[in-house]
Amino acid sequence: MADQRKCPDCGSLEIVDDAHYAQNQLVCADCGFILTEGLLTTTFADEEHLREVSYSRSTGQNEQQSRCKQRGIRRVQDLCKVLQLPSTFEDGAVSYFQQAIQHPSFRLVSLEKKEMLVGCCVFVTCRQHNWPLTMGTVCSLLYADKDLFASTYLHLLKELQLDVPALSLTDLVKTHLNSFKLFQDSSSVPAKYAENKEQMVARTIQIMELASETWLVTGRHPIPLVTAAAYLTWQSLHPAGRLTCPFSRFCKLAGIDLPPPAHLRLTELHDILLRMASQLAWLRVFSLDRRSVAKHIGDLLQHRRFLLQSAFSPGYASKGNSLESSTPAAGDTAETMGVVHIESSPTGEKQECKSRQRPLLPPCLMNPRKIRRIAPSSSAPVITGDEPILDSEIEQYLRSQEEVEEIRKAQALY
Amino acid sequence: MDADSDVALDILITNVVCVFRTRCHLNLRKIALEGANVIYKRDVGKVLMKLRKPRITATIWSSGKVICTGATSEEEAKLGARRLARSLQKLGFQVIFTDFKVVNVLAVCNMPFEIRLPEFTKNNRPHASYEPELHPAVCYRIKSLKATLQIFSTGSITVTGPNVKAVASAVEQIYPFVFESRKQIL
Repeated sequence: MADQRKCPDCGSLEIVDDAHYAQNQLVCADCGFILTEGLLTTTFADEEHLREVSYSRSTGQNEQQSRCKQRGIRRVQDLCKVLQLPSTFEDGAVSYFQQAIQHPSFRLVSLEKKEMLVGCCVFVTCRQHNWPLTMGTVCSLLYADKDLFASTYLHLLKELQLDVPALSLTDLVKTHLNSFKLFQDSSSVPAKYAENKEQMVARTIQIMELASETWLVTGRHPIPLVTAAAYLTWQSLHPAGRLTCPFSRFCKLAGIDLPPPAHLRLTELHDILLRMASQLAWLRVFSLDRRSVAKHIGDLLQHRRFLLQSAFSPGYASKGNSLESSTPAAGDTAETMGVVHIESSPTGEKQECKSRQRPLLPPCLMNPRKIRRIAPSSSAPVITGDEPILDSEIEQYLRSQEEVEEIRKAQALY
Repeated sequence: MDADSDVALDILITNVVCVFRTRCHLNLRKIALEGANVIYKRDVGKVLMKLRKPRITATIWSSGKVICTGATSEEEAKLGARRLARSLQKLGFQVIFTDFKVVNVLAVCNMPFEIRLPEFTKNNRPHASYEPELHPAVCYRIKSLKATLQIFSTGSITVTGPNVKAVASAVEQIYPFVFESRKQIL
């Protein structure tokens, strides 16, 4: 205060400006008389100029939570920031973490497992909001072991009884393609290899839908399949000059890793496309192989419904049997499996070929591994479990005295 | 094929695990020395003994607890366990065959149709869990029977349960759900 004040009570001039907790007061230093008080609460007008501090940034939180919890919450927030997730995801993930850390099976474990828990909470939150995040991404960000991550994830689902919807393939395709460095705005790629992003995404999604209809997606890891589909799309959009570029070089250009199963997926996709191409009238005259079918993917995708039906329905005889990829033996195996065919309108071709069409089956059924079946021998006597045990049967499990002596000697030498 | 009609499915039991106690302390070194077909794991403190007739592998601890695995039926498991107890008796231990219990049964069953796993998971939400990034099969748990089923897209189902009856009931229970989500050619 500029001008001196006098205490009304004792008359002293010693007035001190003091704060009692949050309240500013003018107090007489001699007798303690309060001259004026500030307001305890602020008005709306005052608060407009104040910046709100969130609880997590204030120090109030530090006093109430253990260090382990605080550290975990910070890690969750950092991970969300790195992945550029919306703030609602961050809150959700933090609340999951707080719930999970209460359980002794998550609190009394090694630091490595607590890191996994952080990743799992973020992963679960993303999946629940249908945000396409794969486990591979989270593991690579945390430098984590995939098996440990998987077991922590399943344990978390069980403890918190969470329900996680399935990974949406379309979103996964979009996110994965975003990481490719092939598009026109990137500078590292020669002009003939750069591609339009929207076209590529749209066609890759179509190929993925085709793959899911033809049993290539079920039970498989999605990323290698997306990579293979992206390669085919890229080749088909501008075939000139790209058909000779192999898969590994494509991945190097795009700046992504080539996962090992991707080659197998590519082979399977080629097989499906070749079979479809055999049904398309204007492609039958060409003898297509794996490389050249990429040129015609656009047409194949346009008519895929019809082509799938006609290529894989039973009773339709194909004219060119050079494209038959399976032997009649596989067809017989399929028959004995008893695949149910509900309907299938024959397309009116004559049934001249004796060999059957390959029905639409998962690839593992088309190349069945020889399972050594132990045939239940009906001639063997029925075992009840309570039969008497003869001494002679037991003798074979015991060493004779001479053998025991021999072994003792050998052990003594050793 | 109607879901209500009687379909005879072949359930093949591949493994039966059982335990029993011998109620006496066993000297593992003596078993390792005088028994044939034994492997002594000193670091973990157990002896593995393999029988030929019912093809069984037994894990023997010095406390007298024995776990037998590898049998293909409950009766066979019991026979194998008794044979093992008899061998231990012959070695000189005062063995009493008690507390025999079948702990786990693993069976395999093949459905005659393929199954769409994403659809199946959606229809059976709380019990079924499908993570294609981790395992190619759907894991379905039946709490009342304490059974776990692994359902593959080829129609092959692996069931584990506490006994053979639970396994059979689990397959019966799952059949209508799996039938709903079977693959039909469009």
